Amino acid sequence: MNMKNILYLLIVALLLSFTACQKIDNWEEPTARLYGNVIDKYTGANLLMDQNDWQIRIIDRTWEQSKGAVAQFQSLAVMKDGVYNNTKLFSGTYDMIPYDGPFWPVDTVKGVILDKETQQDFTVTPYLQLSNFKATLNGTNLTLSCNVKAPVVAGLPNLYEVKGFLSLTTFCGNSNYINIAEYNNLRKNINKTWAAEVGVADNKDYTLGPFLVKSGYTYYVRIGANVNALSRRYNYSEILKVVVP
Amino acid sequence: MKIKLILFTLIFGFAVSSCEELELKPKGILGEPELFGTAYGVQKYFVQLYMNLPIEDFIYYANNSPSNNSGFNGYMPGNNNYWQAYKNSLATMGGEIYGWNVDLNEGGVGYWPYDRIRIVNVFINSFPNYKSKYDEAIYNSLMAEARFLRAFFYQGMAKRYGGVPIISEVQDPINTPAEELQVPRSTEYDTWKFIYEDLKFAMENMNPTSVSGRANKYVAAALMSRSMLYAGRVAKYTRYLGFETEAAMQGGFIGMDPSKAEEFFQYAYDAGLLIKNGPYALYTKNYPDKATNFANLFLDKTSSENIFVKGYDGLTFGHCYDALMSPNPDFSSFVGAEGGPVLQFMQMYDFPALTDAQGKPVRFDKRSDIKNAMEPRLQGTCYFDGDVLRGKTFSIQRGIYVKYTGTTADAQNGSNAAPINATSNRKLGNKGEKYNNVLITGDHGMFSGRGGENNAFMGAFIRKYIDVNRPTNLVNVNKSNQSWIVFRLAEIYLNTAEAAYELGKRTEAFDYVQAIRERAGSKVTRPTIDQTTNSPYGYPIEAGLQFIRDERARELYCENHYWWDLKTWRITDQVLNNRYLRALTCYYVFDEGKYIYLDEINRDNRTKTASKRAAYEKIPQGEINKNPKLLPQNPLY
Repeated sequence: MNMKNILYLLIVALLLSFTACQKIDNWEEPTARLYGNVIDKYTGANLLMDQNDWQIRIIDRTWEQSKGAVAQFQSLAVMKDGVYNNTKLFSGTYDMIPYDGPFWPVDTVKGVILDKETQQDFTVTPYLQLSNFKATLNGTNLTLSCNVKAPVVAGLPNLYEVKGFLSLTTFCGNSNYINIAEYNNLRKNINKTWAAEVGVADNKDYTLGPFLVKSGYTYYVRIGANVNALSRRYNYSEILKVVVP
Repeated sequence: MKIKLILFTLIFGFAVSSCEELELKPKGILGEPELFGTAYGVQKYFVQLYMNLPIEDFIYYANNSPSNNSGFNGYMPGNNNYWQAYKNSLATMGGEIYGWNVDLNEGGVGYWPYDRIRIVNVFINSFPNYKSKYDEAIYNSLMAEARFLRAFFYQGMAKRYGGVPIISEVQDPINTPAEELQVPRSTEYDTWKFIYEDLKFAMENMNPTSVSGRANKYVAAALMSRSMLYAGRVAKYTRYLGFETEAAMQGGFIGMDPSKAEEFFQYAYDAGLLIKNGPYALYTKNYPDKATNFANLFLDKTSSENIFVKGYDGLTFGHCYDALMSPNPDFSSFVGAEGGPVLQFMQMYDFPALTDAQGKPVRFDKRSDIKNAMEPRLQGTCYFDGDVLRGKTFSIQRGIYVKYTGTTADAQNGSNAAPINATSNRKLGNKGEKYNNVLITGDHGMFSGRGGENNAFMGAFIRKYIDVNRPTNLVNVNKSNQSWIVFRLAEIYLNTAEAAYELGKRTEAFDYVQAIRERAGSKVTRPTIDQTTNSPYGYPIEAGLQFIRDERARELYCENHYWWDLKTWRITDQVLNNRYLRALTCYYVFDEGKYIYLDEINRDNRTKTASKRAAYEKIPQGEINKNPKLLPQNPLY
């Protein structure tokens, strides 16, 4: 047998091996869509947040009906406009809970039936509200200011920090920002009870900066404030666009 | 020919006869009567348990990622030391040393030693059958040793997970229904109490002395002191984590009622007193040189301070500590230094001022003058410029300032953007490069953008545990043979001091601190007890207690305590919150001919941030799949 024949034989064997033991996965692909909004109770609009700051946990309870199975939660990402949308889920009955976000704990929504397409909105009570956000540019010095309000003071965990976030894209917040010491050191690290930091009032003004920015760049900026609860997620102001001449 | 072949086949066939009875009892297997019937047998049985105790030592791997570590869950017995272990050490995770970018592994290594606990339980259940073969004292002592070993495994889990299933009987996996095999988690309180009961029995029944590496009643007391201190902290401070809405906390599986704190602090305090009155003493053999004395205490295998050690021989059981903590090639024959001491920690000791009253950098005539006002204990913990190891002298300098007229703040922690750091004024370079015939850097760094080859990342090197007598050509993988000191008297003093302070015995607490600080050579050996309350971590704490905590960080620096301390004080997320690990950097000021030291951010501009979930590790998912009764999972996982 010459080399060529051996080669042909090998190729044939290789091709055959591709067809061997084939088994078609007959489990239907997940196609159900689960979507909705996370709504700020105070404003009625969607919660201000950064992309994927925190997640909604869902547990497929239908899975647990088979004996001995333990269902694990899956996490659904929430986008920066407070909308979540997942189109690759199995139909079934789910428990859902927005978990570890910057709001007072919410109850698990039980028995959400997902069949092709289901909308499930959540209304949450944020720990803090940031308003009156201003970005003042003086040459290349950027100063940020806002008012931080705690609508519910009773039982509020320590006010932890107030931090300015600068970004070069429209994505701005704790998941996307210019993470350098020069900017991070300008944050106000408080870690005191509301009464110790603010007193009897329910709101206080904060000014951060000056942040040294570069001329010719466009920045997207916002302020975030958090309390010492779970993973200390931030409540944000809206995002402002700052063009540095 | 053919006949011959047939004949041969027949003869061969009959000669090698079949149907031989092969079910003979093997003669080399030791069963229960051999192992449990004599003290030597028991010793042999215990060896496998001692080898696998959850001791976070030189070879502990806090990140469980590399393939050759899988299945060991962080603890690798035998000569399996992965050479990157020290990059992934607890000291790196907690920010005590800085070298490489290593993930902060809050979820843990999946430590779940119920196989070992079963081995202990087999002994505890069956040993009473052999009681007649022993004197009562020996019998009790061996039984107590088993209880000590079991407690050691359980505290390895309790400090990670809080409450875990308590299994004190041997389960029969074949005839027991699955529901009974699936034991639910106990509460965290019950778990620590179980450990307490085992250790109490051990302390009451074990011998007062033992061979090195084996436990006695003082070792049991030392474990009691440490674990009960952890438990007391957990009881007192868990409420400040904000986990009240979490199912694991509501069920009591993590955290305890704060009223239980006193009980545990009292246990820790009592155990500490027993050891204080025992046969140990703080190591002072090399007085009056307190720096060398402190360094030698980790090398002298006969140290009067050692309560319990884990031995290495450098042959079948070796580690890589020397090879990984000193730079190559001058001090090590392997890859070089994998981590350097962090300035924030250096400045916790008596440390010279780097800035004068006008805010300008202090001028030094020689680089090594930095050590003049330095605490001897820090000199025994770190190598600075001018120190000698293995016949070579450390020479560490980052660069040259052509002139430095401004204040320390002008350098902006080493930022390239600072005007004074413009390349025309600040000269950085590699080994051998010169500016006007003056070397820019030292022989051992600091060079930018290079690994640990003769390079100081942080301006100093670690001295603690470094074997000074080892020649450089034998500083290599798995060659080191220093023992790891699991418990030493100074730790017990600090445990007792903290427990005493928490119990309101402030003066007594500072007696222990004073003893430690005298040996350390600190300037102020007994500071006045300051009862002012501050709230640096979001909960109130007296300055006096904070001082004891800081003393612990100083004395036990890089001994793999700090990470567990942060966890049980419940402040991991508060301390490691955007924390910039800083470097001590030396510059030569060219026009003055003097040296200055600056405080700079680590060369890679990296921060350390831990999540609140670091207070507890994640219950391994594989175990939950086998036993859903382990739910609820710990918070934020």
